Amino acid sequence: MFLEVKGIKKGFGEGTSRVEVLKGIDLELERGEFCVLLGPSGSGKSTLLNIIGGIDSADEGDIFIGGEPMGKMNEKQLTMYRRQHLGYIFQMYNLIPNLTVRENIEVGAYLSKNALNIDEILETLGLTEHAGKLPNQLSGGQQQRTAIGRAIVKNPDILLCDEPTGALDYKTSKEILKLIETVNQTYGNTVVMVTHNDAIKNMADRVIRLRDGQVRDNKVNTAKIPAEELEW
Amino acid sequence: MKNPLRKRLLRELRSDFGKYAVIFLLLVLSISEISGFLVAAESMIAAYDESFEKYNIEDGNFTAEEKMSPRRIRAAEELGISVYELFYSDQPAAGGQTIRIFKMRDAINRACLMEGRFPEAENEIALDRMFADNNRLKSGDTIEIGGKDRYISGLVAMSDYSTMFENNNDMMFDSKMFGVSVVTPEAFSQIREEDLIWRYAWKYDEFPATTAEEIDVSGALAYDLNRIVPLTGFVPRYANQAIMFTGDDIGSDRAGMTMFLYIIIVIIAFVFTVTTSNTIVKEAGVIGTLRSMGYTKKELVRHFMTMPVIVSLAAALTGNVLGYTVLKKVNADLYYRSYSLPTYVTLWNANAFIETTVVPLVLMLVINFLILSMKLRYSPLQFLRRDLTRKKKSRAVRLPRFMPFFSRFRLRIFFQNISNYVLLLVGILFANTLLMFGLMFPDVLQNYQDSVGDDMLVEHQYVLQLPAGAVDEDNKVSSILEMLYFQSEVDTENDDAEKFSAYTLKTLKTRWIKDDEVLLYGIVPESRYIDLSLQEGDIYISESFAEKEMLSPGDAFTMKEVYEDDTYDFTVTGIYPYHSAMCIVMRQDDLNEMFDLGDETFSGYFSATPITDISRQYIGQEIDYSSLTKVSRQLMISMGSMMNVVDAFAVIMFVIMIYLMSKIIIEKNAQSISMTKILGYSDSEIGRLYILVTSIYVIAVMVLSIPPVSVAIQWLFTVIIRMEMSGWIPFRISNSVYRTMILMGSVSYLLIAALEYRKVRGVPMGDALKNTE
Repeated sequence: MFLEVKGIKKGFGEGTSRVEVLKGIDLELERGEFCVLLGPSGSGKSTLLNIIGGIDSADEGDIFIGGEPMGKMNEKQLTMYRRQHLGYIFQMYNLIPNLTVRENIEVGAYLSKNALNIDEILETLGLTEHAGKLPNQLSGGQQQRTAIGRAIVKNPDILLCDEPTGALDYKTSKEILKLIETVNQTYGNTVVMVTHNDAIKNMADRVIRLRDGQVRDNKVNTAKIPAEELEW
Repeated sequence: MKNPLRKRLLRELRSDFGKYAVIFLLLVLSISEISGFLVAAESMIAAYDESFEKYNIEDGNFTAEEKMSPRRIRAAEELGISVYELFYSDQPAAGGQTIRIFKMRDAINRACLMEGRFPEAENEIALDRMFADNNRLKSGDTIEIGGKDRYISGLVAMSDYSTMFENNNDMMFDSKMFGVSVVTPEAFSQIREEDLIWRYAWKYDEFPATTAEEIDVSGALAYDLNRIVPLTGFVPRYANQAIMFTGDDIGSDRAGMTMFLYIIIVIIAFVFTVTTSNTIVKEAGVIGTLRSMGYTKKELVRHFMTMPVIVSLAAALTGNVLGYTVLKKVNADLYYRSYSLPTYVTLWNANAFIETTVVPLVLMLVINFLILSMKLRYSPLQFLRRDLTRKKKSRAVRLPRFMPFFSRFRLRIFFQNISNYVLLLVGILFANTLLMFGLMFPDVLQNYQDSVGDDMLVEHQYVLQLPAGAVDEDNKVSSILEMLYFQSEVDTENDDAEKFSAYTLKTLKTRWIKDDEVLLYGIVPESRYIDLSLQEGDIYISESFAEKEMLSPGDAFTMKEVYEDDTYDFTVTGIYPYHSAMCIVMRQDDLNEMFDLGDETFSGYFSATPITDISRQYIGQEIDYSSLTKVSRQLMISMGSMMNVVDAFAVIMFVIMIYLMSKIIIEKNAQSISMTKILGYSDSEIGRLYILVTSIYVIAVMVLSIPPVSVAIQWLFTVIIRMEMSGWIPFRISNSVYRTMILMGSVSYLLIAALEYRKVRGVPMGDALKNTE
């Protein structure tokens, strides 16, 4: 198993105001698997994603990537772990305002020893003609595509997507989902996508539902459809 | 692959050019000035040190009562020295100045020709270059000296007069009213013998190895020489202020100047950290993303530090280039205004480079590193959530409801930008301190000079000088005869003259107060000039003495003999309202008894009118308005133009700090400003919100800082005068200084406010609707 999540618990606050967000999560993902984490607001899906991404820590339990436990890593090692294995896509694009599209993607490429070809990525993302533009000259969809380019250019083992279409319209959202699908199929990265859009589950290999900090459902999607055909 | 983040730097520089330009300018100004100062000082001091050998400067000089015969010179030279004639005559110039005329020297104390040529004809003279500059004379001009017109053939620096001390025991040199010169031997021979002073220079056959040894050897030499010829003056080189003062003074304010630079560097480093902190807050999402992608904290700290370091490095290099070229000349000219130095060669100065380049860069690096490390200490998640405060959720400060909406709005802006306002406070305080220092200095000197005129004990005081032969303990008979002759020579017919006894003692040097030579007056009962009815044992001290030594009636203090270790204890009976000099007043019989002077002894005269019937050779010191204002006059010449530089610098600093901080505040609030525009607020209303808060703050700080700054300056001034200066200048400043400060500050601020208003008007409404993340 490539990614193993074992007994993850996480709470916030202290005393009577303490809230247990994750109450013991176990799951396993294969390399190259496309997993969608579904659940209502407050179900703990983003917290779980952040713990997998090494930017938040669990109170209990551990994450194993290729058999390596993350729990014992110090901050420096966690940074290296993120640098070598992870790509992040957020709902907010968080592009660097005074770097062009190409340069924003280079920011990701810089971190990797085997970065992908930037021109190819620009081509795949349909950004070639916008490569020299600054973020404020782009539409929301183009900005998110740039953010995807930045995340995948380092060819990460795991691509973590936190509501990547949350701020986008239907058409643009579908474009973005198609791109993530293409990236997953082309480069074979394991994708974990957090969403509250139920329709997106149909394009995943595995669908995990969270509620009240627990896994309510974890099943392989046998009726997977291409992103192109998603409707909501 | 190079870090792509570095591509931001040039764009950052372009987009925020104004900010970086003013910071760069401020750094260049400070670094170039200090670099110029250090380079000039080091080069000058090297030229000065070299001059001892190059111009064969004397090891000491003595003044004989009469011209020495060749036999006496031979006898003197048997004491292990070579003796050189250094006769001179002090002649009045048409402008009231005194010009000391020497014969051209080729063996000792040679002159350095600075301009023109040495005199060749009888009517020609080569004047001291500094005296000429300060009196607007140049070679080719004609000057009337001693009733004769003389053509100035050239300007010179005399190696034994780098500082213009007319008399070695003067409190201060005088580069405007006293000058030295050389003429041809033929021209010199025209001067009447009775107008000549028989001064001789000496060089040791073997120069004493240490200063301590030099003191011993010269002490013995004085004694031996006096047996060969009666001396009226004896000054070994180490004690010769005209030669040594320059070496002691040049570069002595080095520590102060470099400290001044470092304060500016620290302030600018904090300006950088404030602007970078704002960028960090603005780009929190980006930073969170970068950190979650695997960028290390170190990489980001390095990235945000790059710009301050590049700007500082560029400024340091530019500053050094300017320091070595333009500013070196400016600083050298400042020295040339106070000291008559020979020509100098610019020397590469490793210390100046370290102090103006390496240390500022290290300071910039360390401060930025520490603050940025602190600002970037948050986890990637905290950055993504913009959760960048230690406190969980900062509560809004409660403001009273009755307060008008605009006032509450303004206060919110103030609280939101409190860190910027704190830095602005520091900047204004520093700039105001500089400004006040620059403005008060000439004012204090002027006030002192004005007060001297109203405050003199008497218009003329003459302190008589006993010939050396009158105190020859080995030859009592000759000594008594000499004394009798002296007493008959110093009698005056002037009815205004009132005798007094005098004795000079030295105050004790402490860590905080420089020692001073203080004149003790023993006055006759019912003196016409000093309004005191003294009882036996009464000790009155002048107000300036009381202020410098911090003494009040009833306090005890101790003084010592000038050249010996004997001490005397006194208790202050009262303070005499006299500011112009540090002195002690007591009964004449008390003074004579205390110092075993004899009942009938007196040392000088007070007089409302000049005493003209005593030969000048018996007058050691004449105390009048001119001598009492020598210190302030000279300080005005030496420091006056420097103070203009300080004023200009303070205003620039003030403008830059306000410009930077208000720019940051407006930029930080660009989105809110844009939103208020969308809501329908007019530009002037927005100006009243975002600019008025800074205006009120700046003016309040400017006005409220005056009392503490004034106290700080007074403290600094009195500490400097106590520690560094002989005598005392009371700290009295006119209200016009405060008015000028506020006026200069307000005019500078108006300029910035206009720029700010333009900026506020330029904020587009689209900003509020844009999501660049």
